[in-house]
Amino acid sequence: MSEKITFKELVDLIATQSNQSRNSTNSFIHELVDIIENGLKKSGSVSISGFGKFELRWMKPRTGVNPQTGEELSIPGQNKVVFKPYKNLREDVNKPFSHLESKVVGDEKDSSESTPDTSDSKETNEGYDEDPFESMLNDSDWNSAFYSAEEGVEKPEKADEPNAAYSSVSSASVSVDELLIERENPKFAKEKEAVKQETEDKAIAKKESDKPAAIPNKEKIAEEVQKSGSFKWSYAAAVIIALLAFIILFFMIQRFQSGDSQTQQNQIEMATPAPDATDSSPAVSDDTEPEPPGGGPQTEFDTSPLTVEPGQSLWIIAESELGNPYLWPVLYNLNRDVLENPNQLPEASDIQIPDISDPENLNEFEREQVALGYFSLYEWNRANNPDEARFFLWAVGVCSPDLLDQPPADVDPDDLEFARNR
Amino acid sequence: MVFVNPSMNYRDLIDQLSSKTGRSKKETKELLGVAVEKLTEQLSEGRGVSIPDLGTFTTKTTEKKKVYNPHYEDYIMVPPKRTVEFSPSAGLKESVKFSEGGGDE
Repeated sequence: MSEKITFKELVDLIATQSNQSRNSTNSFIHELVDIIENGLKKSGSVSISGFGKFELRWMKPRTGVNPQTGEELSIPGQNKVVFKPYKNLREDVNKPFSHLESKVVGDEKDSSESTPDTSDSKETNEGYDEDPFESMLNDSDWNSAFYSAEEGVEKPEKADEPNAAYSSVSSASVSVDELLIERENPKFAKEKEAVKQETEDKAIAKKESDKPAAIPNKEKIAEEVQKSGSFKWSYAAAVIIALLAFIILFFMIQRFQSGDSQTQQNQIEMATPAPDATDSSPAVSDDTEPEPPGGGPQTEFDTSPLTVEPGQSLWIIAESELGNPYLWPVLYNLNRDVLENPNQLPEASDIQIPDISDPENLNEFEREQVALGYFSLYEWNRANNPDEARFFLWAVGVCSPDLLDQPPADVDPDDLEFARNR
Repeated sequence: MVFVNPSMNYRDLIDQLSSKTGRSKKETKELLGVAVEKLTEQLSEGRGVSIPDLGTFTTKTTEKKKVYNPHYEDYIMVPPKRTVEFSPSAGLKESVKFSEGGGDE
């Protein structure tokens, strides 16, 4: 894995592929590096589509110790460069292992089967190719591998010792579990008590079965553990669903009671430029006023073409090209002649990318375009996915409340009601 | 609406790169695409690449490991995984050390 290619080899590869001279390729890469460096200095993050993103991360000042003298020294705060590979790169690099999946293994161990080989990690990877459950039961290499990794230091000589080690592992795992559940929801405290009891019982049972036979019934234990896991999960899910149902019911009752006038007011407050607020308090009006339109009314976007690469979605393109993934409906609206389905982006199709100067502060025209984009999504979803269409109409209202008052095409009155009152 | 932090996106990069190298935007995009493709190719084959003044890209393979999963109340075998690592060059580290645009922690 420590193989490397030199920069020169890389430049050669790029030069031959792109029919450019080595010199120009070389200077191109140097310019690229320069720009990345400057971009990092100025904005703290540089994204390269299809590759990854360089970012600066601020490390707080901390104290460290000089390893040679043992002296304490203070390390000042500083920026660190981090590189986040995008999905494409991650998947490509992980290709040799992409077919492997994690699998559940029992935490019991078996002294009679363990073989003291620690250097078989490469070999045991093959175990993944088999049926996961079966290999879990049969593959002794697995167990021996954990065994040597976890307790390689204090390997048992007598039959009693593994049991002691086992129980300590099991109690540690229970306490971790306790903490996690408790933090999630204190109501589970009682449940947790029962679970703890159960696990302890299991541990004792396992211990006992370990002693006489020396070869414990692995299949049984593994099955038991899996069963108990799935049982708990369904129980927890039921509780959560019941809670959710109650909350929804509660809100529905509240809304019903508060009446129409109340909801109307809520809606006005939600819309950004609230007319009431601007009248009563001028201080607030500064904040709520929409951004001043940049240089006269705009009627059309400046666009530039882009060819879709495999694995890209409108969301990803919007993130890398426009700077904000939530602007993807604009892309759909602009390219409706190419895209039939907003959720499917045909490979290698040519689409138009609008020029959005500042994705943080959209001007009025751009806001309207985003709203129109969501509206076109609403129309598509109304035809193809009626259950979710109303959410897109709601998004239209968030971007541009005016558009909701004067929709460019027919909308379902129920959906309009939903979009206004959500 | 939720807006992400200001950052230099791909478009800005292409703009600056094309104006600096005197190539058209289209050419720049293509050449950068080839560069990224080749880099990815090398990394996918497990080879490291170092780029002067920027840093070194290497791959790192994590061994399979056994971790406790509180949901299953059991140990899970996590398969080996290969990831990209980037270590910035000394020059880059030094030059951005105290620049403004740092993200949080």
